[in-house]
Amino acid sequence: MRNKTSAKIFLLKLLHGLILSVACLVVLIPLIYLIINSVKLPREFLTVPPTILPSEVTFQHYQELIDDAKTIRYFRNSLTVSFWTTAITIVSGTLAAYGLARMKLAARLLAGITFIFLFIRFYPRVTTVIPFFLVMRQLDLLDTVWAIIIGHLGITIPFVTWLMLVVFQDLPQEIEEAAIVDGSSVWQRFWRVVLPIVMPSVSAAAILTAFLSWNEFLIASSVARRKASVLSIAVASFVSDKGIQWGPMAAMSVVMILPMIIFALFAQKYLIRGITFGAVKG
Amino acid sequence: MTIKKRATWHKRHDLPWLLVFVLPAFLIVVAVQFYPLAYSALLSVQEWSLTESQAPQGFVGWDNFARELGDSTFQRSVRNSIVITGGAVILEMFLGVCLAYLTMGSSWRMRAVRTLLILPMVIAPVAAGTLWRILLNSRAGLVNHLLGFIGIKGPEWLASPDWAVVAVILLDTWQWTPFVLLVAGAAIASIPEDLLEVAAIDGASRWQVFLYVELPLLMPLLLLTLVFRTLESLLSLDSIYSLTFGGPGFSTYTMTFYIYTQGLRNFNFGAAAASSWMFMVFASICIWLVFWFQRRER
Amino acid sequence: MKKMLLLTLITLLALPFGALAQDMPHAGVEIVATYMQSGTYDVGAENIEADFEAATGIELELVASPWAVLNQNHITDLTTGTGEFDVMSGEFWIASVYDKMLPLDELVERDNFGGDYIPTIWQPGPSGYFDGHRIGIPYSADAYGIVYRTDIFEEAGLTADWETWDDYLATMDKLAMHLEGSDVAPSVFAWGAAEQTPSIFLGMYDGYLVDADGNYALEEESALAALQQMVSLLDYNPEGAAGLSIDEANSVFLTGNAATMICWVSFVRAAAQNPDASLVVDNWAVAPFPGPGFPFLSAWNLFISEYSENPEAAWEWVKYYINGEQATQRFVELGVGSPYLSTYEDPDLVDAYSHDFPGMVHNLSRAQSVPWVFEAFEIFFRNTSELVIGSISAEEALANTLASWAEVTVPPALVQSAAAQGQQQDM
Repeated sequence: MRNKTSAKIFLLKLLHGLILSVACLVVLIPLIYLIINSVKLPREFLTVPPTILPSEVTFQHYQELIDDAKTIRYFRNSLTVSFWTTAITIVSGTLAAYGLARMKLAARLLAGITFIFLFIRFYPRVTTVIPFFLVMRQLDLLDTVWAIIIGHLGITIPFVTWLMLVVFQDLPQEIEEAAIVDGSSVWQRFWRVVLPIVMPSVSAAAILTAFLSWNEFLIASSVARRKASVLSIAVASFVSDKGIQWGPMAAMSVVMILPMIIFALFAQKYLIRGITFGAVKG
Repeated sequence: MTIKKRATWHKRHDLPWLLVFVLPAFLIVVAVQFYPLAYSALLSVQEWSLTESQAPQGFVGWDNFARELGDSTFQRSVRNSIVITGGAVILEMFLGVCLAYLTMGSSWRMRAVRTLLILPMVIAPVAAGTLWRILLNSRAGLVNHLLGFIGIKGPEWLASPDWAVVAVILLDTWQWTPFVLLVAGAAIASIPEDLLEVAAIDGASRWQVFLYVELPLLMPLLLLTLVFRTLESLLSLDSIYSLTFGGPGFSTYTMTFYIYTQGLRNFNFGAAAASSWMFMVFASICIWLVFWFQRRER
Repeated sequence: MKKMLLLTLITLLALPFGALAQDMPHAGVEIVATYMQSGTYDVGAENIEADFEAATGIELELVASPWAVLNQNHITDLTTGTGEFDVMSGEFWIASVYDKMLPLDELVERDNFGGDYIPTIWQPGPSGYFDGHRIGIPYSADAYGIVYRTDIFEEAGLTADWETWDDYLATMDKLAMHLEGSDVAPSVFAWGAAEQTPSIFLGMYDGYLVDADGNYALEEESALAALQQMVSLLDYNPEGAAGLSIDEANSVFLTGNAATMICWVSFVRAAAQNPDASLVVDNWAVAPFPGPGFPFLSAWNLFISEYSENPEAAWEWVKYYINGEQATQRFVELGVGSPYLSTYEDPDLVDAYSHDFPGMVHNLSRAQSVPWVFEAFEIFFRNTSELVIGSISAEEALANTLASWAEVTVPPALVQSAAAQGQQQDM
């Protein structure tokens, strides 16, 4: 009996390990291949069968990127755009969600407001790109990172507000009631009592916002020309009418992805803290 | 002041503060987005094709909508979108929840696996599309090469109308299962453990616990994720743009790709706006469904 | 006395500036010019940017964007009257905004511009025209062609002197027999790059592209025959050819696995002679593109925006960027096809490119640009692509195309372009 159970457990563990290994491979192989591609010689790109281990490791594609002053500018712009988009989104989105959650609005009104936010979030940007361009021209913001940031905010704030609204609504009222009794103001309650509790969700929202903003292409490409150009436009620009410049494109992709991967590794800690915290809370 | 009175007093005096909280987000979102949205609403009932005229060509009522609905390319793109998004989202939800369960726990190994598994969603869709284009190349691609090792002759991924659809679904799944994993993981971890213990003591099997205890608790968040992923997937453009460009032929021509082509390449503004508003009708229904479900839950 | 000295000093100081101002009438003016980001046209501009600024005192800002974004930026800029760009790079794809471009006739005449162009390229169509006025100056020229393996042809006792596609297909039959059992295909083409298939169709098709009323149309019988002939080419391609992208088709030829390739010659020219990238060095040449149709022409133009505040300074850049010398240099350094005859007659190049120039000049002199807006182009290539992958028949492809075309209006500039190139149905 005992043996049977332990054999079953062993098999299950094996299966568990197997599934996770396969999943990890599916994720990792493309990424590793991308890195390999970025150090391949141009002639080894479309060989049959594919060149998995290049005959020679070359850093020429990276060298070209480093030599081009524009790469630094793209990088700096991407960083600026993501930073401000995330900062503004998190502050205004979290506050708005808290405000909406505690206003004791009629359910219908609250639903209506959320609906408008979500409607704006999911409206196909392709159609609003040109009117948005006109607004930015009117504000004299064309070709500035702020045009991109404002464009991104239209997507990220509704999303974060929605996400946090759900979180705040699920938060037990008792937590705040003690603070109300103590006579603390809304701001104090929000800052000292509520925010620390929901911090994991806030960091998750921040991480998602930063990813979106860093990777977004359409809005950026329609309001940025030269000074405000960002990495996502740079990656797309290796696709030309002459086919694709695989090497430089792979190198630029790595340059673009790497900071986000590092960020993800770093941010993961916060996510996990949040998750374990959630478990303790229960 | 009694506690109760004090609480109501607070409620009243809270309101101005709460309004101040909401204001910045409201201003940024509605103020900046209102004009573009209103403009596109206006365009949807106007005739305007840039190849014909450089200013709107007058009010045409519902003509744009009627013409789009009757357009065979539009119909086809809607069908493609349903197949692609349907396939991708079902796979993502299933795999995401499974993987969330398989990676539970806080051992370093599980943390490492979890971190690794969320990496695809970090990658810019433009880059991911091109990366998979290399991988799925029928002759020089890594995927068919690896399939060859286990004795499978890989298909013509990007040249066959059916496999191209599969390729797009695979890309979406690869990139966005991590999102479901992330959300489901957080949701599962926040289920109170004593609930599960009680259920276990009652003699429920692991499967029964999942079905009758965990799933109902997870449902609201999973439903949100489902709707969110559905709409996001329908809206995705970058990845299709770089993976298949809607081809071969019209095989992976999705609705968003259609709207993009009409609006930003053919400059048929009226048609693009009308298609967008039709999409929004669908999106609105999805959003309302979530609301309705949430209210029923409460 | 002191005053006199001061005055002299001022005059002396001012003199060089005065002289400078005469040489550089546009000194200090800022202009913006756009290019497609491709590592060729844009790099060619960047290479001479500093020299241009030093020579004219004009501050030039170059904006390079990916193809799709470039057109979108131009059209948005011109229709909203933003006027951000003075000089714009484009082709007939932006014909819907041709009326917002500055007529250049006077400038061309004044500066006696346009000398030794390949004649077809300087004509309306390849050169941007609106209402009979020149608005575009071509700076690149590339025509569809066929490259072939001289060693294989010699071995098989064949010559690449076909005039029609029937001749070409007959040669393919002989090649197929000769190559039987080897892994070399008689022909290869980037079928998977769907937007390329119209190039073959246009070579096979013998008829009008715009009807007498100025609408998109095709002569049905000839179009059907061309579509069917196009599909029959697939038989001579390697397995899985329906999925080949441009890069892949090129690599099939470069690795020696095809005897002929239908392609943009400028996309393979440099690689084919580079031993690091090619197994066919010195064993290939450019053959004529068969008729009765024409080789598809790609000719990028520079336009000056009607909203430019400094059209004269913009024109300075156009002249500086576009001339025989620059075109030859861009050809040598970056592989950009030149619209100037002088490039193809350059004594330094003629020998090195003896396998390339004769065929190239022949094809360029027959090449035409198409009067299709992107929408019309896309309708056509999507349907031919469906035909290539076997989803629909040639009849269906034609019927679908014509039905969809009925909804598309031809911009006046392109009706004129079609008429000028003999692509319009006789009245």
